[in-house]
Amino acid sequence: MRIESRDRLETLRAQARESNASRAQQVLVCCGTGCLAWGSKKVAEAFASEIAKRSIDATVNLFVKTTGCHGFCERGPLVELQPSGILYTKVKPNRVEEIVEKTLIGGEVIKNLLYKEPVSGERIAQYDEIPFYKNQVRVAMRNIGRIDPTNILDAIAEGAYSGLAKALHEMTPDEVLDEVEISGQRGRGGAGFATARKWRSCKSAPGDRRFVLCNGDEGDPGAFKDRSIMEGDPHSVIEGMIIGAYALGAHEGWIYVRDEYPLAVVNLGIAIAEARKYGLLGENIMGSGFDFDIKISRGGGAFVCGESSALMRSLEGKTGEPRAKYVHSTEKGLFDLPTVLNNVETWAGIGAIIDRGGEWFASMGTERSKGTKAFSLVGKVKNTGLIELPMGTTLRHIIYDIGGGILNDRPFKAVQTGGPSGGCVPEELLDLPVDYEELTEAGSMMGSGGMIVMDDRTCMVDVARFFLAFLEEESCGKCTPCREGLHQMVQIYDRLIAGDGVEGDIELIERLAAAMKLGSLCELGKSAPNPVLSTLRYFRAEYEAHIVDKACPAGICRELTAYEIIEDECDGCHACFKACPVDAITGVVKELHVIHHDACISCGACFDVCPTNAIRTFPKVELKKAEVV
Amino acid sequence: MAEIECSDLGMTEEILAGYPAGEPALIQILQDVHHAYNYLPCDVLERVAEALDVPLAKVFSVSTFYKAFSLEPQGDTIVKVCTGTACHIRGAGQLVEELERQLGIGPGETTEDRSFTIKTVNCVGACAMAPVVIVGDKYWGSAKPTRVKKYLAKGADDEN
Amino acid sequence: MPTLKVNGRRVTVDGDATILDAARAAGVAVPTLCNFDGLEPWGGCRLCVVDMSQANWDDDWFKVVTACNHPVEDGMTVVTDSERIIETRRVILDLLLARCPDAPLVQELAREYGVEETSYTPNPEPDDCILCGLCTRVCDHIGVSAISSANRGWGREIAPPFHQPPPDCIGCLACAEICPTDCITYETSNTRREIWGKEFEMLRDPKTGEAVITKEQADHFAERSGVPITYFETSDASKRRQMASTFQKLQVVK
Repeated sequence: MRIESRDRLETLRAQARESNASRAQQVLVCCGTGCLAWGSKKVAEAFASEIAKRSIDATVNLFVKTTGCHGFCERGPLVELQPSGILYTKVKPNRVEEIVEKTLIGGEVIKNLLYKEPVSGERIAQYDEIPFYKNQVRVAMRNIGRIDPTNILDAIAEGAYSGLAKALHEMTPDEVLDEVEISGQRGRGGAGFATARKWRSCKSAPGDRRFVLCNGDEGDPGAFKDRSIMEGDPHSVIEGMIIGAYALGAHEGWIYVRDEYPLAVVNLGIAIAEARKYGLLGENIMGSGFDFDIKISRGGGAFVCGESSALMRSLEGKTGEPRAKYVHSTEKGLFDLPTVLNNVETWAGIGAIIDRGGEWFASMGTERSKGTKAFSLVGKVKNTGLIELPMGTTLRHIIYDIGGGILNDRPFKAVQTGGPSGGCVPEELLDLPVDYEELTEAGSMMGSGGMIVMDDRTCMVDVARFFLAFLEEESCGKCTPCREGLHQMVQIYDRLIAGDGVEGDIELIERLAAAMKLGSLCELGKSAPNPVLSTLRYFRAEYEAHIVDKACPAGICRELTAYEIIEDECDGCHACFKACPVDAITGVVKELHVIHHDACISCGACFDVCPTNAIRTFPKVELKKAEVV
Repeated sequence: MAEIECSDLGMTEEILAGYPAGEPALIQILQDVHHAYNYLPCDVLERVAEALDVPLAKVFSVSTFYKAFSLEPQGDTIVKVCTGTACHIRGAGQLVEELERQLGIGPGETTEDRSFTIKTVNCVGACAMAPVVIVGDKYWGSAKPTRVKKYLAKGADDEN
Repeated sequence: MPTLKVNGRRVTVDGDATILDAARAAGVAVPTLCNFDGLEPWGGCRLCVVDMSQANWDDDWFKVVTACNHPVEDGMTVVTDSERIIETRRVILDLLLARCPDAPLVQELAREYGVEETSYTPNPEPDDCILCGLCTRVCDHIGVSAISSANRGWGREIAPPFHQPPPDCIGCLACAEICPTDCITYETSNTRREIWGKEFEMLRDPKTGEAVITKEQADHFAERSGVPITYFETSDASKRRQMASTFQKLQVVK
């Protein structure tokens, strides 16, 4: 079983490819967390039982494979057929019989299971002709959706560990470092620090014992690329870490996985066990004489543990309090020993960089941001999901050409990037190329790649408050500016949202923001003001409306917003009546419905379901004025 | 600690046996303990402190720092509402409110009969299907307040 | 021995000195709250922030760092009173005043920076704990670790395990003594001591009968030092008398 040489790996790869090719047809059922939530497990089971029912020889004729995240989560459960390349979307278990009968046996395409282009209405059968997929360049996510992540041979068939073979048998550790430097890869966790520079600084630190760590804490709400990589192609992470360990002379590694990702923990565990079995982890890896092994450590539910020094403290069994920043963890990190910590996506790219060369990677992207980047495109966009694109792609292209534009064709307002440390990018900057420096200059950040699209029904004051409240809960509490500052920021924002804002509040916010940026111990506190500052920069008028007019222009803040049904537009469909959680709407079917302001809690549920746009929002203060009159 | 705890420490010994002694294993051990007992009982924590040779005060500090841990017994079914950014703008707040209405408890609380605990979670990574509710182990994507009753009733196999 | 400038004054210090050490050597006062000589610096209160520029940086490129724990380097330039530093300290004290409006130390320091009343929402249930961590740090330093910080973020608090009398506490009162706002209360008499809800019996000096130390503290010190426990049971006054009588018996050789 152990792979003792490069040749042995090549033989296994050929065998696995042969085995895949020998199957007349394959059905790939997406079992990433998203599709699992849509019920894809039942779909996979339905295929298996349908095949058994028809006594088809699964291994030869029709093989069912469960894979990681295909990325097009909006359309799950996703089923891809090979070799035809047909993609079926929103597949329910009760359609499986039909798929087997009509498509797999009969060769016919089922039109209403195909992806439908939102504007033209065209149905597209081929996976790689769908704009969502056509425009992607997958490097870190190269194998996700193609392989069964719990089967190492499947990963090997698609190229896993060939980068490692090259590194161990053809290159010296320093040559590996040089190659990573040529690639220009920068950390994909958010900070964008040059990978090679980090590795070199660890390598030059004195001592015999050092560590390589993988940051799987993906705490940015809205980002799930690391989850998909850990679940869907764990071997890409393992391979990258072994290569990095070889370059650095480290023999121990950890993958820190956040508590909220149980499937990632399971799939990584299976992958590590298999890698050990095949001699790709442990002693004498691939017969090279190099020893290295990996352990998994689960987080305990703390966003701050995505910060490198806090993560290391957590690995040491302590509370996740970050350490002073002048101590470089590349010199004194985990257990005060030299440590390299890189993000999941960073590690996942290393195998491909070594296999295909640093220059290949550097040929993609922009001057300062090389290669490709994974993004989770979510929010008020039609095609939500996970994508990977060359750096330099514009936000407009991502949101409109790949994302299909805004949900329900409402007006675009902003796209939030970089998580709670990032900022909002407004319409006038949509042609910004995605690049570390470009995003920072615009007042946002690359972050881990979360892109949250917002429409006109989003209040930017509320968005800033959301991030502040999130961070307030996640602050470790060690330093005064962050612990007290976040709490007080939320207090101020709560006043604005309740209509109790006063003149001087914006200045109060700005002064507090400045002190937090300068005085906080770690990046959580230092970057907490970013959503505040970016929303003030581009949407100051909304703040002023809240403070001066006691109005929420987006119609979101409940205490400032009232709802009413427009007589001419209402067709009495009764949907709002059913949606209202507090029975504040009265009306008989086919007749005009009425919202009662004294009972209405302004939750917007009726607005969201009304099919004729018959409900409008208006400032609650007008109600009070009406009462007075 | 209202009553004196009297947990079955047999399970604790089994868990401890699977890890090397010392502080680094603490969080992993606490996770296994939490999974076994559905919370962190104080007498178990005292035993863990003793076994790992870590001061009880440090064990207490770690137990209260991380959101995954509860020092109070939790409900048989944990209902988690994701309140990440994508879920927030797609209406997670309304889901929490509906759950509060139906169960009579707020986030972080457990029903009197210990059947349900509601928790808010900061992003479960299923952002493309926001908003997300997890009842036990079952994920419900694109969750709607009008369907909350259904999610709670069985929490099992049905499609959304 | 690195040489650096603090507010324009040149000063030379030991290689392992911090910016705070250098400031003191230069006669420049830097406010601190969570710092205590003899304990490892913590960098939590952030009050000691200063502007710092390294020798090889551009002349006008400064970084804000905490003086208490940042090491010095030859050719460093430190400015402790730039506008942004004063403003940052002002906000920090304003924030602390919101949390602990009744603590005289906080009121005093805030007043020095021009803050009479907090600009923020006052703590609805205030106490005097500024979360400087000195109590838990000194307890760790003594090798007891009876108390720790519980929770995180704004709800963070100093507490004994499970908010019960801490089993490891030796009643040494170091936490209460080191607390800058005196917010740790205790009772002590000739017969008993009580702190963190835990009761202690006092050991009394065999000669004078005055309470000297708790049994737990004596045991702890005896164990750590190897010195017989009777040493710790004896009061300082008795020890001095013993020494005096020993000296009396000495013969001075001329």
